[in-house]
Amino acid sequence: MMTSNRLRLLVALLLAAPVASAQDGMDHSMHMHHDMPMSDSLVWRMVPMEGMTMPMMPEMMDDVPEVGAFLPGFGMDAAMLPEARPSEIIDMADGDTLRMDASFVRRTIAGKEYVMMAYGGMYPGPLIRADRGSKVVVEFTNNIDMATTVHWHGLRLDNAFDGIPGLTQAPILSGETFTYELKFPDTGMYWYHPHMREDVQQDLGLYGNMLVDPTEEDYYAPVNREVPLILDDILIDANGILPYGEEAPTHALMGRFGNVMLVNGITDYNLDVQAGEVVRFYLTNVANTRTFNVVFGGARIKVIAGDVSKYEREQFVESVVIAPAERYIVDVHFDEARTFEITNSIQGIDHFRGTFVPEVRTLGTVTASGKTDTDLATAFREERQNADTKADIDAFRRYFDHNLRLTIETNGLHPLTMRMMEVDTLYFPPIEWNEGMPMMNWLSTGDEARWTLLDEDTGKKSMEINWDWKVGDVVKIRIFNDPKSFHPMNHPFHVHGQRFVVTHIDGVENRNMAWKDTAIIPVGSTVDILVDVTNPGKWMAHCHIAEHLHAGMMLGFTVRGAGDAPEVGR
Amino acid sequence: MFASLLASLLIGFPPAAPERPVECLLPADPDYYRVELVTTRKVPGARLATGHGAVTYAASPFGVSISPEGSYRMNIDIQVGNVRLDGDKELVAWVTTPNLDQIERFGALDVDGRVSGQTDFNKFLLVVTLEPKGGQPGPMWTGPVVVRGMSRSGLMHTMAGHGPFETEPCAVYGY
Repeated sequence: MMTSNRLRLLVALLLAAPVASAQDGMDHSMHMHHDMPMSDSLVWRMVPMEGMTMPMMPEMMDDVPEVGAFLPGFGMDAAMLPEARPSEIIDMADGDTLRMDASFVRRTIAGKEYVMMAYGGMYPGPLIRADRGSKVVVEFTNNIDMATTVHWHGLRLDNAFDGIPGLTQAPILSGETFTYELKFPDTGMYWYHPHMREDVQQDLGLYGNMLVDPTEEDYYAPVNREVPLILDDILIDANGILPYGEEAPTHALMGRFGNVMLVNGITDYNLDVQAGEVVRFYLTNVANTRTFNVVFGGARIKVIAGDVSKYEREQFVESVVIAPAERYIVDVHFDEARTFEITNSIQGIDHFRGTFVPEVRTLGTVTASGKTDTDLATAFREERQNADTKADIDAFRRYFDHNLRLTIETNGLHPLTMRMMEVDTLYFPPIEWNEGMPMMNWLSTGDEARWTLLDEDTGKKSMEINWDWKVGDVVKIRIFNDPKSFHPMNHPFHVHGQRFVVTHIDGVENRNMAWKDTAIIPVGSTVDILVDVTNPGKWMAHCHIAEHLHAGMMLGFTVRGAGDAPEVGR
Repeated sequence: MFASLLASLLIGFPPAAPERPVECLLPADPDYYRVELVTTRKVPGARLATGHGAVTYAASPFGVSISPEGSYRMNIDIQVGNVRLDGDKELVAWVTTPNLDQIERFGALDVDGRVSGQTDFNKFLLVVTLEPKGGQPGPMWTGPVVVRGMSRSGLMHTMAGHGPFETEPCAVYGY
């Protein structure tokens, strides 16, 4: 068996090299929608393979994902749609109501027009700004042609408004309205996005921020200005946005990496500042799967806060590592008059050559000129100790409750994909920064790859799990990202409706914590998190790589309020 | 009841412990990236030496520590045992790239055979050598190699130059 497999692989690979360069733009129309004329139908086409050195196997050349090609808005005339506007800040006082919809819009990316989606007609969606402790109402109307919901990521809000279809609400069908009541118990930057087919809807532009301002004086150090930066990518070729899987997502193995980088929805982001300014950036990663390593062109960076709180102490860093769904608040000092490039600086992997490949992609620029009148450099140099955060965390430094293994099961993946993956097993990087095998990844769908959360204590998997906690519990979860699974990969682990701290990584104590709602679990690592259980209801925890979520990487937990009976089957 | 609750709040007791006992079923440390140190069998008194390098992330507010160039920044805790040393010798640990073009000295192992260091090399070798005690540290080792080991990333090998994938001379990539 081994010999015959190997021979088959050898033949396939020896034949592969000559065709490797002829793939871009290949038409796979013969495989889909045979009965429809080409010009009116949506067909699969080869994913972009920019910079790829991996030879493709002839046997796979004509393959397309085992799901239908799907692109919302396909066939619409972009010129007939309203042009999306840049995001606006909506200041909301306690008790205010915002009416917001999701709709199709016309977007221009790198000079080309696309039919995309927007909240409130904006890209990103409106930035909702409110004070800590306030409550607001969002009357949301679905004006796209897919069912949707809105998840208010990171907010410890009432369970009924968490936006989880089938768990906290029914899907909002096209034309329907749902009223969300939001409350903001924690200062920081949050975001909202769909929780139905977010691999599609979020990727097409449905995301926005919520900035919760502190009510205390001197909560943060002074800065010259505040700027939200939403990081994203999107997969586009000469024919437009690459179709998505209709019945299930494509790119189930590694998630859908985009090849066009977006900052606040555009490819040419620039910020003008005066030399000497300290700028507070509120970073949010809304990409489906890409983790960014953000560098500000040599400007000094100080990390202030994570998802849900300030750190125990501010800390200077050289770059910002931000996984999907995470947020970081950083102060950056532009100390001289020049242009600072904001870059994503990574070491990608060339699986074919077994090498690391340095890659620097420009995300945007900051142009510093003149000289600021308000010099805050002295305050910037100080790494403040945040006694309030420290005191808030102090009571939560022990306990242990669940053991969770992150792994994957496969069912019917292409045989050559299986073999290639089995051959390429000598090293799995802690973080998958780039898409090393675009075609094999594209061909894998959520039907063939089942990402799994395995409860080591009970043997239950993913949504079989329904942990039963009660308000006031402190739950420690040890999460192990199994490097021996079929295709190990980093996972941004998100817990709904509660907050947590990362206490240990690989047994090493974290000496500077912040409250989080999403954290990277690198390959091979064991990450201990402590969940502060405060918010009753039925909730989810899941990997925030959109394709992994749809490939099953989620679990449920119930938080009982005082006096509620425990659920059966803990 | 109310009074005891109030009292516990006032003196800052942590929340009640969960009902289930503490039980760790999963590993705490990253076995996957651990570097096994293998003896060269060439050094008298150290022919049966054993050791390893435990690899963990350097401290970072992001969990994983990454350099501005995108490389992993790792702490490495080296431990070597089964070595009998002459009084005028000491074991010194080094980290180097696979083609030895960059070498950094971690330092002399302590009496327990331990030393720690940090690296952001993408692929690296750990080398422990026998050096004159108290000698001036140079840019590279001068004594014989006692044990050595390669990072997990160093195992990542070209498919271009070997086996069924062979399409190019592997020497291009240095191995």
